[in-house]
Amino acid sequence: MNPSSRKKMWTAVVVSAALMTGAGACGGDGGGEAAGGDKVRITFAYWGSDARQKLTDQVIQKFEEKNPTIDVEGDFSNWDSYYEKIATKVAANDAPDVMSIEIRGLSEYAGRGALADLSGKVPAADLDQQVLTSGQIDGKQYAIPTGVNAFSMIANPSVLEKAKQKLPDDSSWTWDQWIGLAKDISGAGGVTGAEYNPNPAWLQIFAAQRGEKMYDGTKMGVSAETLKAWWSIHQRLIETKGSPDAAKSAEIGATGPEQSLLGTNAGAMGMWWSNQLNALSKSSGQELTLLRMPKAEGASTSGMFLQPAMFYTASAKSEHPAEAAKLIDFLVNDPDAAGILLSDRGLPTNAKVLAAVKDKLPPVDQKTLAFVDQVKSELSPIVAPPKGALQMEDILKRNTEELLFGKVTPDQAAQKFLAEANAAIAG
Amino acid sequence: MATRSNAAPFLFRPLPRGGRLLKHLLLIGFGLIMLYPLFWMVSSSLKPEELIFREPGLWPSEVTLDNYGEGWTALKHTFGYYLWNSAVITGLCVAANLVACSLAAYAFARLDFPLKRLWFAIMLGSIMLPHHVTVVPQYIVFAELDWINTIWPLVVPKFLATDAFFIFLMVQFIRTLPRELDEAAAIDGAGYWRIFLRVIIPLCTPALATTGIFTFIWTWNDFFSQNLYLTNSDNLTVAVALRQFLDSSGESSWGPMFAMSIVSLGPIFGFFLAGQKYLIRGMATTGLK
Amino acid sequence: MYASMSDSVSVTPERAPVAQPPPQPPGRRRRVRQVNVHRRREARTAYVFLAPWFIGLFVITVGPILASLYLSFTDYSLLEPATLVGLDNYDKMFTEDDRFLASLKVTTIYVVVSVPLQLAFALALALALDRGLRGLPFYRSVYYLPSLLGGSVAIAILWRKIFGTEGLVNSLLGLFGIEGTGWVSDPDTALGTLIILHVWTFGAPMVIFLAGLRQIPQSYYEAAAVDGASRIRQFWSITLPLLTPIIFFNLVLEVIKSFQSFTQSFIVSGGSGGPADSTLFYTLYLYLKGFKSYEMGYAAAMAWVLLLLIAGLTGVNFIASKYWVFYGDTK
Repeated sequence: MNPSSRKKMWTAVVVSAALMTGAGACGGDGGGEAAGGDKVRITFAYWGSDARQKLTDQVIQKFEEKNPTIDVEGDFSNWDSYYEKIATKVAANDAPDVMSIEIRGLSEYAGRGALADLSGKVPAADLDQQVLTSGQIDGKQYAIPTGVNAFSMIANPSVLEKAKQKLPDDSSWTWDQWIGLAKDISGAGGVTGAEYNPNPAWLQIFAAQRGEKMYDGTKMGVSAETLKAWWSIHQRLIETKGSPDAAKSAEIGATGPEQSLLGTNAGAMGMWWSNQLNALSKSSGQELTLLRMPKAEGASTSGMFLQPAMFYTASAKSEHPAEAAKLIDFLVNDPDAAGILLSDRGLPTNAKVLAAVKDKLPPVDQKTLAFVDQVKSELSPIVAPPKGALQMEDILKRNTEELLFGKVTPDQAAQKFLAEANAAIAG
Repeated sequence: MATRSNAAPFLFRPLPRGGRLLKHLLLIGFGLIMLYPLFWMVSSSLKPEELIFREPGLWPSEVTLDNYGEGWTALKHTFGYYLWNSAVITGLCVAANLVACSLAAYAFARLDFPLKRLWFAIMLGSIMLPHHVTVVPQYIVFAELDWINTIWPLVVPKFLATDAFFIFLMVQFIRTLPRELDEAAAIDGAGYWRIFLRVIIPLCTPALATTGIFTFIWTWNDFFSQNLYLTNSDNLTVAVALRQFLDSSGESSWGPMFAMSIVSLGPIFGFFLAGQKYLIRGMATTGLK
Repeated sequence: MYASMSDSVSVTPERAPVAQPPPQPPGRRRRVRQVNVHRRREARTAYVFLAPWFIGLFVITVGPILASLYLSFTDYSLLEPATLVGLDNYDKMFTEDDRFLASLKVTTIYVVVSVPLQLAFALALALALDRGLRGLPFYRSVYYLPSLLGGSVAIAILWRKIFGTEGLVNSLLGLFGIEGTGWVSDPDTALGTLIILHVWTFGAPMVIFLAGLRQIPQSYYEAAAVDGASRIRQFWSITLPLLTPIIFFNLVLEVIKSFQSFTQSFIVSGGSGGPADSTLFYTLYLYLKGFKSYEMGYAAAMAWVLLLLIAGLTGVNFIASKYWVFYGDTK
């Protein structure tokens, strides 16, 4: 090797070494420690869309104005990769101080010690107490609900009208009537009567109408008979052409409200969370109506329930638990926060806050609010499902698809579902 | 050498006129089919948002640029800000991969050293493990270094030749070069560095171009690690920003998403257009003159 | 110096075997032994060239890989510390987990069908877009576009626009009076659409083939043309043999990458691997186990099984390559 190449060789070594140390020196502002003077820095993780990000940035700004010693950093992720990001951070001991979590993930995170008990730290007296209990596990308040939703039937009256059908009386209608109506609408031509949605919330409502719990401790409470009865609704819808065939239904089911039959004015009825009324109305461009879910014959309860759209939780390992609690308090109890967020995270359950912002809510939200008020007395209480509930939607969807595509019999599907579901929540 | 130009090789002789026309037609026709999804995306980005799914046809009944305006300004910063963030990261990664991977590739392809086969196997092995199971330990490493919310977790690994794909790619290209080239240079007194810089690198332009293009595209589109490591809303990149338009749990802004997807295709398409010039500057055209 | 270098260099093509098929028996690959001092210097230089890679390997790559190996013997929920469980994860995988076997099957079908198709497609287009026509730079870019779209979030929608119940394919079939199904959402055809999606994003191997074609010295063709070899014969005796290192590269890498396919199924099936597990790729299942069921230990074990599988296949590929890959650096 000649001298010049030897020199280059050492240059390369030095450069790469400098790179390592230099890069290390430049990257020193990511930690959770105080940033800039006496300010305490906390991170707040949430998921959502561009609209929510803008609102959240505004609300954080407002909070910082009121609490000049706290610096809040929003940690945003889209929904599909939210949990993987949070889980990674918790595993790496870098958990955000305040985390948004939805009810299905609550037991997972609380049960595994990732969340702090917020009892007494976040004032919750003004919140809807029944909804508040859904954030409790083993008597500890791990999570504060942000707002509520109800899983309900949404219909398009003008489509119904075009098919010469009338809006049903939703206080007494049955599943059979619903299937019949869907069939008649499809029969009139042009549009499809209903789209089904193998959502665990629907199964939970249906099971409650038959006097069964979805979850019984860490076992499934729903029986094979109920499952089969529930699936037979799907099957009859397909047979009578009240809904599209299995393939088309699976295709729609994989997309969001904008591409659904209801959202594209190609269908008359579908089951959705009440906060999705917004997206559905916007994309269909028509006025949609919320209805109660149909009932099973002879059911004594509607089975419907109010579910927190999401929860605010604090990390068990947070170095600044007081500041984290303060942020959560602000988000749920301060009318200023609600004035910005409105119904973005569900309809507020703090009665005082709700009264203060009620008039600012857009018309669609007013409608949802009226609907919720109307059905409130008929609702079943909600408890957080056990660990593993995050998988329930996938398990139910998969087994439903296998059945509807004729790969298995209803008996096999019911057995398989119960085995998989029990295994998922047993851990 | 001077005689080469008149003897146009048979394979490259221009096709007869009819044949050329036919080939053009075939390429255009086939290209149109291949690009149907792109056309659909362009058309959707030009429709009023609420009509995107209500009117499934390719031709918009109403053309508007609203989605572009809205998408550009919908997020915390204008979309140009995210384009710039992505460009910085991508540019650094391209430079890093070109340098680090070609160095390593030269050693693997041309030099002998103890345990070469083992190291080579380890290098290949490092791309066989799905990254989902290494992401947590990796995150811990970067968190220890205090690199979270900086671009270092995305860029520094490239300077350290962790993209084994490109090392292997360049090894394969270097190995297509006749050894006589190195030996001739060595006889003339060139050391390894000189051979590397003056013989191998110029003759590997296509491989370098490939590396540059792929690094650019893959980094530009790399959602997973950018989403994980860049959490501050001021640090976001295009790949992450695009996904903010979609929320499968709530409301999505499909129109702006399609529009900004088209916008974000611009830089990668431009880079490809510019890079493909070097892609075809192989030994056959420049190397042995 | 350059003059003399290029002089000696330019002789090379004339010395190379010209119109004859160049592959040589693998036995002759060994280089002439050099003196010890020289070898040591060469090794030292090699380590310098490899220095960044070594630093990266030990600082960034190896730690997490070994950590994942350790985790594969544990019960690890991500949220709580890991506890050792021995070989339980591996045991469970092969004895209890039907979905594991199903995902292995889906992935194998996907790899076996889509990799050869994609490579053949990429090579054919690389040859068509190599030279001899105006506007080729433009065509090349256009044909690369699908690959740019391939990983986009929009692809789920775009794919439904083609293979959905009301998609392009069914409209075309409708012209012939055939009623199609919802290709993306029917368990019998969903995997097929993902295979097509993979073939459709043939840009990367095509680009590598294009680059490889340019590495073939033109003089070989000139000499062949003088000898009167036909275009087809030139392809078989010059292009194909000299392209084998690149074909080999594409083959090895596509096999590795396809076994790890994740994004397409994740996006198109909405992260579920549905309908009815028909597109449940191995890596997607691994991901669901790790990040949705919080069984990261199990996911790590799955990753190591996949690593062994891919490494085995790659090993076979390398051994087989001795019989069909021709390198310019062999003598």
